[in-house]
Amino acid sequence: MNKDLEKDFLEDFEKNQNIVHKVCRIYTNNLDAHNDLFQEITIQLWKNYAKFRGDSKFSTWMYRVALNTAISLYRKSTRRVKTQDIDEVNFKIAAKEYDDTEEQQLKALYNAIKTLNDIEKALVFLYLEDKSYREISETLGISEVNARVKMNRTKDKLKTILNPE
Amino acid sequence: MDLEQYKKAWKNQEEQGQKITAKDILSMTQSKSSSIIKWIFIIGIIEFTFWLGLNYLFTLNGVFEPYRKLGLISIMNATNYLHYAIVILFLIVFYKNYSSISVIDDTKTLMKKILRTRRTVKWYVYYNLASVVIASIIINVLIFSTPNAVETIYHINSSNGISPQKVITIAIIAQAIVLLLMVLFLGLFYYLLYGILLKKLNRNYKELTKLESS
Repeated sequence: MNKDLEKDFLEDFEKNQNIVHKVCRIYTNNLDAHNDLFQEITIQLWKNYAKFRGDSKFSTWMYRVALNTAISLYRKSTRRVKTQDIDEVNFKIAAKEYDDTEEQQLKALYNAIKTLNDIEKALVFLYLEDKSYREISETLGISEVNARVKMNRTKDKLKTILNPE
Repeated sequence: MDLEQYKKAWKNQEEQGQKITAKDILSMTQSKSSSIIKWIFIIGIIEFTFWLGLNYLFTLNGVFEPYRKLGLISIMNATNYLHYAIVILFLIVFYKNYSSISVIDDTKTLMKKILRTRRTVKWYVYYNLASVVIASIIINVLIFSTPNAVETIYHINSSNGISPQKVITIAIIAQAIVLLLMVLFLGLFYYLLYGILLKKLNRNYKELTKLESS
């Protein structure tokens, strides 16, 4: 079919595939589900790639398609991990020791995010990716004020999970 | 510990990400989607076919034969044409809603469109159930208000020892039970089907709308 389109897509995708991996890691709890969601996002990206005309950055567009697929299209209900289900050992190490390795911080962060609901996950993810409130509100379809309010609440929630008293 | 420190760790994960090769990406683009949109479409088409098929089956099996005997066939035909016109209208609305779904929309709009498409199918099912109920009420009234109708349809006469009155009562009770069972069965079926399919979507949509109203 359109070989050029395919080539462009693969190039764009390869450069930005980390976005998709991060979304999959947040929204799934095991490798099978991760790969499943990754595949579905890839399909959706490719199906809509012809409509993507470069009027926005590819990565911006990728955030939207990836999150939409995870939140709305992906069929399997991604059961929320309860706080007590989380790998307690990793969790405590990361929370207690101040100068922990980044890897452990990252692990703790992911575990904490997994206890949030799907919308909160999206908010935190976009915050961690340094997105502006304007972009966040446009991605999720909520007002900027509401995005701000909900973001602050979610951040507080996350902090409590990461630093239990 | 501040969230900013975690953010730093988050940023540095870029390099550690698992890489998927272009070849694998390409093969993924060729595989079949299993998204909710696709299932909503497939189930919608099955439902359209199911109700149309049911109608056709009834015609084939001579279920409408008694009405022919009573001279009601032209009314039956007229309502049938009307029915098909309404079905086509439903199909158009369904297809229009379905094709408006776009992953490029914002999350809330996308969910709204998916739920709207599903609602079209729901109203189609309601329409079919209502038309079954209304049609049976009208037909019952017509049959039982026509002199000797019961005798004509069921080939009974007083020499069988069965009174037409008894036949009427049994017929009405039987129809009511069948209708009730049908509604119950379909209700349970849809509850389970869409319940499983849309549980997550509904939950997330509620969460987003709750956010906007607070």
